[in-house]
Amino acid sequence: MKRIDGHKKRIVLFGYGKYGRMLYRILREAGYDITVAIWKEENFARAEADGVKDMRAFSPRSNESIRGLRIDPANTLLYCVMERTANNLFLVLSLRELYHDTPIIAISNTEENSRKLRYAGADTIIDIYEAASRYIVTDITRPAVSEAINEIVFRNNDLKIAEIELEEGTFLEGAMTGSIDFGRRGIVLLAIIDKELGDKLIFATKGLDHKLDAGDTIILAGKERDIEAFRAELVASNKTIPQGVHDES
Amino acid sequence: MHRLLSRMIVSFAYMIEGSTRYRKIKNFFFNLLENDDYPYKKYFDIFMIVIILSSVFILVIEVREAVPKWLDDFDLYFVTAVFITEYLLRMWVFSDLHTIILNAEEESRYLGRELRLGPLFWQIVKDKWRYVTSPAAIIDLIAILPSYREIRVLRILVLFRAFKMLRYAKSLGSFIFILKNKKFELLTLMLLTLFFVFIAGIMLYVFEGAGHNDKVHNLFDAFYWALVTISTVGYGDITPVTAEGRFMSMLIIVTGLGLISFATSVIVSSFSERLMELRDERVVQEVQKKKNITVVCGYGIMGQKVAEGLRQAEKELIVIDEDEEKAQLAHKSGFRTICADAARSVIFERIGLEKISHVLCLTADDEQNAFIAVNVKSLDQSVHVTARCSDREIAEKLTYAKIDKVVVPEEITAMMGSVYAGEPVAFEAVQSILAQEHDSRIDEVEIEPSSFFEGKTIEDLQMDEMRLVLLGVVRRVPGGGRRFIFRPDDTFVLMAGDHIVFMGRDAAIAHFKKRLLR
Repeated sequence: MKRIDGHKKRIVLFGYGKYGRMLYRILREAGYDITVAIWKEENFARAEADGVKDMRAFSPRSNESIRGLRIDPANTLLYCVMERTANNLFLVLSLRELYHDTPIIAISNTEENSRKLRYAGADTIIDIYEAASRYIVTDITRPAVSEAINEIVFRNNDLKIAEIELEEGTFLEGAMTGSIDFGRRGIVLLAIIDKELGDKLIFATKGLDHKLDAGDTIILAGKERDIEAFRAELVASNKTIPQGVHDES
Repeated sequence: MHRLLSRMIVSFAYMIEGSTRYRKIKNFFFNLLENDDYPYKKYFDIFMIVIILSSVFILVIEVREAVPKWLDDFDLYFVTAVFITEYLLRMWVFSDLHTIILNAEEESRYLGRELRLGPLFWQIVKDKWRYVTSPAAIIDLIAILPSYREIRVLRILVLFRAFKMLRYAKSLGSFIFILKNKKFELLTLMLLTLFFVFIAGIMLYVFEGAGHNDKVHNLFDAFYWALVTISTVGYGDITPVTAEGRFMSMLIIVTGLGLISFATSVIVSSFSERLMELRDERVVQEVQKKKNITVVCGYGIMGQKVAEGLRQAEKELIVIDEDEEKAQLAHKSGFRTICADAARSVIFERIGLEKISHVLCLTADDEQNAFIAVNVKSLDQSVHVTARCSDREIAEKLTYAKIDKVVVPEEITAMMGSVYAGEPVAFEAVQSILAQEHDSRIDEVEIEPSSFFEGKTIEDLQMDEMRLVLLGVVRRVPGGGRRFIFRPDDTFVLMAGDHIVFMGRDAAIAHFKKRLLR
């Protein structure tokens, strides 16, 4: 999986069943600090065997036990990956009650459950079967596309997808998307989120030039070093904050 | 003399045994007449149905009108010739005479005695007699008889030609096949009906045959009345007039209702029992002429989603699930479905491995998926097999067994989760591109050999004009692998077999593909 360096949020992983275990391994490889919150007794031994350093007990029904995890709401991502959707749902309700603005990611196994989890307060839902079936269908119907997505998104190499939120004073402020030569920089502009138009994704294939403003987010694909060079270029051009843009990834 | 004759017969049998041409011809006729999976059998069946219908049509015309001579000749010579030829061909392909001869010869050699022609002859006759006495062959033979014009009454036997149609029309045959399975129940029902008709008929005759009822002249009339009444048809041409007779009527009407319900339930239950089997058969026949079929094994949540995705991409697919309920669900969703155990070879052989391009093993059970995947690979290595499993360790085992793709859904979920941790907005973008939620999507196009763009550069593709975003090129590398080249620059030279991966809007993609394939 992609290795992410620099500042990153802490992750609290609720549940250490088969999904939790797999997610722990991948996030660990990517260099995240992870706290594993375990409910079922038997999963402690499993986590210990896998070398999990930071594991704590909790119960999805007890707010007290969740508070005991000492989550820093401003700098944490909460992953609800318990085996049973009913447990996940309860957990999402408890977490949302305790932490209003912390991102909650939950796994689901059907569209119906996704809807319930979203209603309960989860920000992002990953439908296990949806993701895997999409992967299989793409692999059969468009094998080259599947190869490209694997390389850019999933495989551990120097390619990555990155998002950059534009700060005030960079050379992109006020520029039209069409006028910036991303190709020369070795990167591809996939989409932008124009703050003025809400938080909907606008793909670069739309055919219209967009004027970029501070607060907009651009989504890029490219080699890590090219993306970093582009970030550096943005920082260098920033007239208002000479110490550089805030870099999250 | 006897020895010379037997030697001649044996050497003739050896000659036939060794002739590939003979075998080919016999095989062709066997397929044409008997093999439902043979693609050309359909045309032969249609031809025979047309011939039969024309013959029955001529019979009907003849009742009131004079039939033109050419039509009569057609019926007399052509139809009869076709039927006789077919009868003889069927008798020929029914069994191999030369095998019987060679077996007998081998046996006599083993026992150290001479080949005896008498018993051999009887064995051959007995063998072919088995064909002649089979119900279908009897119908075939009777259907030939109406051609003998000297006996007028034989004309009615033309209707046997209609029975012959059972041979050619699969659905009619299936109906008989279904009823055959309920032979015992139907026979019991028939005997019961006969018993009641017998009793009721005799009683009516006893009560009203002595002159009380002017419609009942003999026992036949009474039986006729009993059958018409018990079947609830009730023409009303014969009605009982005495109180005893009417009481009798009431009794057999009630009995008749019971018998009819019983008959209906027997037939309906027989149909529902065999329906799945018949449908499987139909599916196998339907895909006979298709190519590049994807077989989805397992119709659980994942199987359902994959099948739906493949249908949207207009892929030919068959769903296999051994669970009857799931197979039923797949069928209801409009997929070609077979209810069978995909871990057994027979189902893939029936579909025809050469027609299958991909097999997806998507049941919820790792072992079952491994079993199916290995089964298919052991049958045909060229079929691309994707197996689902829940563990990396098992995935590695399967990869070692040369299964082309192993998918661990938990791992994909975890990878998606990890992408989110780093770049939440990018994650949304990837999700949205993969789900094709917007009118922008990722697609690919191949540079075909001898295409106009072979040897041209990326710049020549003029992708910017159509607002297409080039993501990269997937190129085959020597040794069979593939390599993804991320956004090659404008001077990159394209080769045949390269796949260009790009993002764009539907209309632009269609236009671009058209230009490249031109």
